[in-house]
Amino acid sequence: MKPSSKHLLTRLFSHLYIERSILDHPKTHKIRAKFSESQVIVIDHYKEVFNRSSQSFAAQSNSKKLILARKEGKFLHEGSQYSDGFEHEQFFYASSVMGCLYDCDYCYLQGLYPSANTVLFINLEDAFEQLRPYLGKDTLVATSYDTDTLAIESLTHQTREWLEFAAEYEQLHLEIRTKSANINALKSITPNSRVTLAWTLSPQEIIDRYEHTTPSLEKRLNAVIEAIALGWKVRLCIDPVIYTENFDILYPTLIDRIFSLIDPKAIEHLTLGSFRMSQNHLRALKKLRRSDVAFYPYAVSHDMATYPESIETYILEQLGIKADEYLPQERIRTWQRQ
Amino acid sequence: MIYIITALDAEARALIDHYHLTRDFTLPYTLYKNERMVLLVSGMGKTNALMAVSALLGWRIPNPADCLINIGVCGAPDAYPIGEALLIHQIFEGDRRYYPDILYPHSLRESSIKCVDGVQSVLDEYPVDMESSAMFQASARFFKLHQMAFVKIVSDHFTPETVTKERVIELIRSNLHNVDKVCAAVEKVSLSDPLFDQTEQEEIGRLKSHFTKAQASALDDALSYFRLKYPQKRLPSYPDIPDSKRERSQLLEALIKTLTH
Ligand code: SF4
Repeated sequence: MKPSSKHLLTRLFSHLYIERSILDHPKTHKIRAKFSESQVIVIDHYKEVFNRSSQSFAAQSNSKKLILARKEGKFLHEGSQYSDGFEHEQFFYASSVMGCLYDCDYCYLQGLYPSANTVLFINLEDAFEQLRPYLGKDTLVATSYDTDTLAIESLTHQTREWLEFAAEYEQLHLEIRTKSANINALKSITPNSRVTLAWTLSPQEIIDRYEHTTPSLEKRLNAVIEAIALGWKVRLCIDPVIYTENFDILYPTLIDRIFSLIDPKAIEHLTLGSFRMSQNHLRALKKLRRSDVAFYPYAVSHDMATYPESIETYILEQLGIKADEYLPQERIRTWQRQ
Repeated sequence: MIYIITALDAEARALIDHYHLTRDFTLPYTLYKNERMVLLVSGMGKTNALMAVSALLGWRIPNPADCLINIGVCGAPDAYPIGEALLIHQIFEGDRRYYPDILYPHSLRESSIKCVDGVQSVLDEYPVDMESSAMFQASARFFKLHQMAFVKIVSDHFTPETVTKERVIELIRSNLHNVDKVCAAVEKVSLSDPLFDQTEQEEIGRLKSHFTKAQASALDDALSYFRLKYPQKRLPSYPDIPDSKRERSQLLEALIKTLTH
């Protein structure tokens, strides 16, 4: 039972909260032009709105607002234990957007942020400045870590800016993780072999149930096919796997479906991982009482909630066996507890 | 329940008639009620508003599905026609800012408002009133931000001497259709079905009383999992509770397994 229905109650970004200091920024003008019907509310600092107490993440998810701001501090953060740095010497994630257009029940942003609204930092050039000193070494930057940047590319053009920046630095690798089908945003950009587009794929039943407002599996697969045809490096992620009673059918069928359409040789890696979350974020998710995902009897160790070891092993083994039919071991990556 | 707050008797008059509210003498404030609403007249100014709203909400603590609507008149620059109803999305008070969440479609003009200390006859760039910031502060302790709305009807262009009691009654009366719509919209976004109905909650409470705190919390989680995953299914029937601690633990384990399989 959903506390409220999942349909959008008002049009997307019906309200734009804009920091006074960037009212005249060219990017602000462009975004305002796209949302000319939206209410504009001038604020002094994004935290006035984003960090308010008494917000309801669940209610706001049905009517997301956009906050335009200038980031003052660090754009780059060290990669976390929950994600894969692919053995690069340095691994950062960039936080140029807070909040996501999509609304996945298992998303840790619900525990991380007090608001379901999106904050878009328009001074991405400062992220590049902060990154430059590190670029003498092999470095991976995940540009879509706490959000799905490609989903709002038509609004932000941040992916394009990242790609243009990456083209200049030979040691810089980017990973752009997405559930979006917005391949048009990439069509006019020359593919870069140091950039990986990583699509998260789930069975359609899981998408319908837990990944609200995201593109369908078919749309994502079509985007993957197009990206490969355009010459982009692509990684596929079946991560997080949500364990359900029909797991044995849903997920192996997904892998078959993927490789009935996509040549296994055309993808870099397939990443497999079962649901995991820090206990703090899980507690916050429970408070929202939005989804069964929050209430599964997970095993908790070292502050991380995962499926009990037997189930986690079963999930990864089953998917590993299926994936083996299509890919050599070294191209299957698995997230597993340490 | 919808909590309606006005500052003045004159602002309340048309609402009392329209919603067929009857006087209630429980609090030392002017209070009216029906089954769906309670209306409080707070008195003018921030201090009165803060005290009266706090008293009301402390007396009748809102449920998660309740909402609060402040309805009143305001002075405004002449870009805002007299009689226009504004829905407030930002309240200024000195350096402070307050933001109700507007998560529903509506047809009113939205505006910021400045909350000032006295009647204002000097031109300002924003509409002004004398209570909204205090009402927001008192209410935000009890309501989520999308469960509060501030509807202000323009009474004058910084000529407060022209605003009579009769005029205020008329201004609110001519905007009752707007008040109706805002009430319905805020009520709708505030609605949240509890996961378990009253009877289920009582049964769950009884069941949990047989277990330790940690066990009860694990049971709560499993029940929530079951209800969210299978909203159409009834909860499993109430089990016999064994006397021994060990058997009770086994029962709990089995229950959790059934609920989360
Ligand atoms: S797409 Fe990713 S960031 Fe966005 S809501 Fe889903 S899990 Fe969260």
